[in-house]
Amino acid sequence: MDLYLPILGLAVLGAGFAVVTIVTSALVGPKRYNRAKLDSYECGIEPTPQPAGGGRFPVKYYITAMMFIVFDIEIVFLFPWAVAFDSMGIFALVEMVLFIATVFLAYAYVWRRGGLEWD
Amino acid sequence: MIAVHGSVLAQEIEIESPNIAYSAIYPILIVFGVALVGVLVEAFAPRPRRYVVQTVLAAAGLGLAFVGTVLVAGDLPETQNGLARGGIEAEGALAVDGPTLFIWGAILLLSFFSVLLFAERRLESGVTAFAGQAAALPGTEAEREASTRGLEHTEVFPLMLFAVGGMMLFPASNDLLTMFVALEVLSFPLYLLCGLARRRRLLSQEAAVKYFLLGAFASGFFLYGIALVYGYAGTVTLAGIDGAITNRVGGDGLLLAGIGLMAVGLLFKIGAAPFHAWTPDVYQGAPTAVTGFMAACTKVAAFGALLRVFYVAFGGAQWNWMPMMWIVAALTMGVGCVLTLTQTDVKRMLAYSSIAHAGFLLTGFVGVQAATRDSDDMTSLVAVMFYLLAYGFTTLGAFAVVTVVRDSSGEATHLSRWAGLGKQSPVLAGVFALFMLAFLGLPATSGFMAKWAVFTSAWAGDAQLLVIIAVLASVITAFVYIRVIVLMFFADPVGEGPTVAMPSVLTVVTIAAGVVVTVALGVAPQPVLDLAHQAGEFVR
Amino acid sequence: MSTEPFLVLSALLFTIGAFGVLIRRNAIVVFMCVELMLNAANLAFVTFARHHGNLDGQIAAFFVMVVAAAEVVVGLAIIVTIFRTRRSASVDDASLLKY
Repeated sequence: MDLYLPILGLAVLGAGFAVVTIVTSALVGPKRYNRAKLDSYECGIEPTPQPAGGGRFPVKYYITAMMFIVFDIEIVFLFPWAVAFDSMGIFALVEMVLFIATVFLAYAYVWRRGGLEWD
Repeated sequence: MIAVHGSVLAQEIEIESPNIAYSAIYPILIVFGVALVGVLVEAFAPRPRRYVVQTVLAAAGLGLAFVGTVLVAGDLPETQNGLARGGIEAEGALAVDGPTLFIWGAILLLSFFSVLLFAERRLESGVTAFAGQAAALPGTEAEREASTRGLEHTEVFPLMLFAVGGMMLFPASNDLLTMFVALEVLSFPLYLLCGLARRRRLLSQEAAVKYFLLGAFASGFFLYGIALVYGYAGTVTLAGIDGAITNRVGGDGLLLAGIGLMAVGLLFKIGAAPFHAWTPDVYQGAPTAVTGFMAACTKVAAFGALLRVFYVAFGGAQWNWMPMMWIVAALTMGVGCVLTLTQTDVKRMLAYSSIAHAGFLLTGFVGVQAATRDSDDMTSLVAVMFYLLAYGFTTLGAFAVVTVVRDSSGEATHLSRWAGLGKQSPVLAGVFALFMLAFLGLPATSGFMAKWAVFTSAWAGDAQLLVIIAVLASVITAFVYIRVIVLMFFADPVGEGPTVAMPSVLTVVTIAAGVVVTVALGVAPQPVLDLAHQAGEFVR
Repeated sequence: MSTEPFLVLSALLFTIGAFGVLIRRNAIVVFMCVELMLNAANLAFVTFARHHGNLDGQIAAFFVMVVAAAEVVVGLAIIVTIFRTRRSASVDDASLLKY
């Protein structure tokens, strides 16, 4: 059980920080409401009205989301590599550089062909 | 109740740097490397230059990889009392042995000619047969603009190279995890390629959706099968699974369920009944160059993997899976033959014919397995490899012929439009007739030698009943092929009749290669049979 | 700790996924069911890894996750394309190719 004590400590610390900040800001922060602040938050863009049945998202969201997934999932290979890095040495480093270079090739393609432009 | 043998987390695991013999696996690396360069070309080369650069790059890369394969084959070490040649490379992930290299050679040759088909531009008056802009909706202003500006997707070349790399990896995988990754690497580009036709885009997109959903479904079964086999054996390496089966560890239930589920995934890729339903739709809807590539190369790769898994890993359990394979082989031939009869579209007819051929190949697969030292017996491995090469070239040539028979709306694939083709263009009709006769298995064509090889091995392997079914099936399909020949030469054209467009040298070379190989393997098959013999067994 | 319940759960998830592929109409939902099958296999892999006390299964799970992500990208690209063309993602509407 001793192993779990640090995790417990971290959880208490994290929860405590959250509670303290929320309570303090509610107590001491200035409160000036306007219409934009009362709207629901949608990732910084104009909130879209939701028609019955959920409505449709522009295809741009899809491209961004897909690119996020593809680049995000590479972390899966970085983590075990980092854990075993000590015992594998230079070979592992070279392989990982090659791997990341391959991923960045795809990134270069996306960038040059306009996949990163929003409009 | 399952006991826990030990916690993974508690152990200190020593991880050492892997030792990779690049000298044995570089043909694969060449293909993947060229594909990556292709992606860079797409990113940085100016649009008008891309087509030429990509075509040259793809063809040169495949040619170079083929030369590499020949060189690697030149100095394969002998193992296992001379029955097998080669070794296990890349920390047990890849088996580079005789059969692997034979299959690599076949895939690289076939894909080289597929690149030529992909690059054909004269038939569509100056652009390739792939969509100008796949993202533009069919029938909209955007699409018209893309086509007037002469846009074309040259991404098809890198995509195809990635697929070829996956196809080379698939039959060479020595563990099931590599095999799964290879399966997906070969499949994903194909799903996309299917949806990229310039003409009849709705059909093409529909083919892509169907292929994708069913392919993903099948690979889900394949993966769960791997998980169960891993649960049975405690390892994913083929040799380790073989050892576990020999020592009878664990319960048979896991193993049998695993074999069954994995067979679903592999038989789907091969297009064997009852997992064939996607074949006709996808073959018809996909751009014809892609169909030819798929029909020839996917079949070679998938059969290579099927042979390796079932002979190397599951060889010890063959009494369990052999009945299943018998039924599948018989069913595949039956379905393929009977449904070929009712087709009115050339591409669909060739698709059902490919299902029937998968059945013949499976007949060879259940034949004699092991080679014995110093014997010239026809092992099933030799027979199937020879069949794959012969069938691959014939079918690629046949689809190449389909691309040049056209009318105002593109390819004229309806069979009735082919009536009287022999009067229009005797040479082309003659070539197609030759391919039909090779599918049928007429002596002096490669089809005859290929069928003779698989039937011999199956007969010697106590699968006489299956051989009889296969011969009957051949007779039934003969009717279809003869009907097509009669239609081309002795029927009067309907209305305007078909026009035979004059293709560029690229398509001509592909068709010529199909003809040459079909005739050469029919008249003088011995060198290739010897080569397949020399390849020997799989290394374990 | 017994590994059996996890295997049962994995088998259930796989069955739900396979069943969903067969009965659902919407291509996106069909595709989600396929992903469920892959994740069921992942659960089986890690459970067997624990059972056998080696790492092969866990490594397999990593690769399956990456393959599944790639599959999502390819699959959604195809499904979105056909949806934009036909204004429908129902697999029943994709019926131009038959017989």
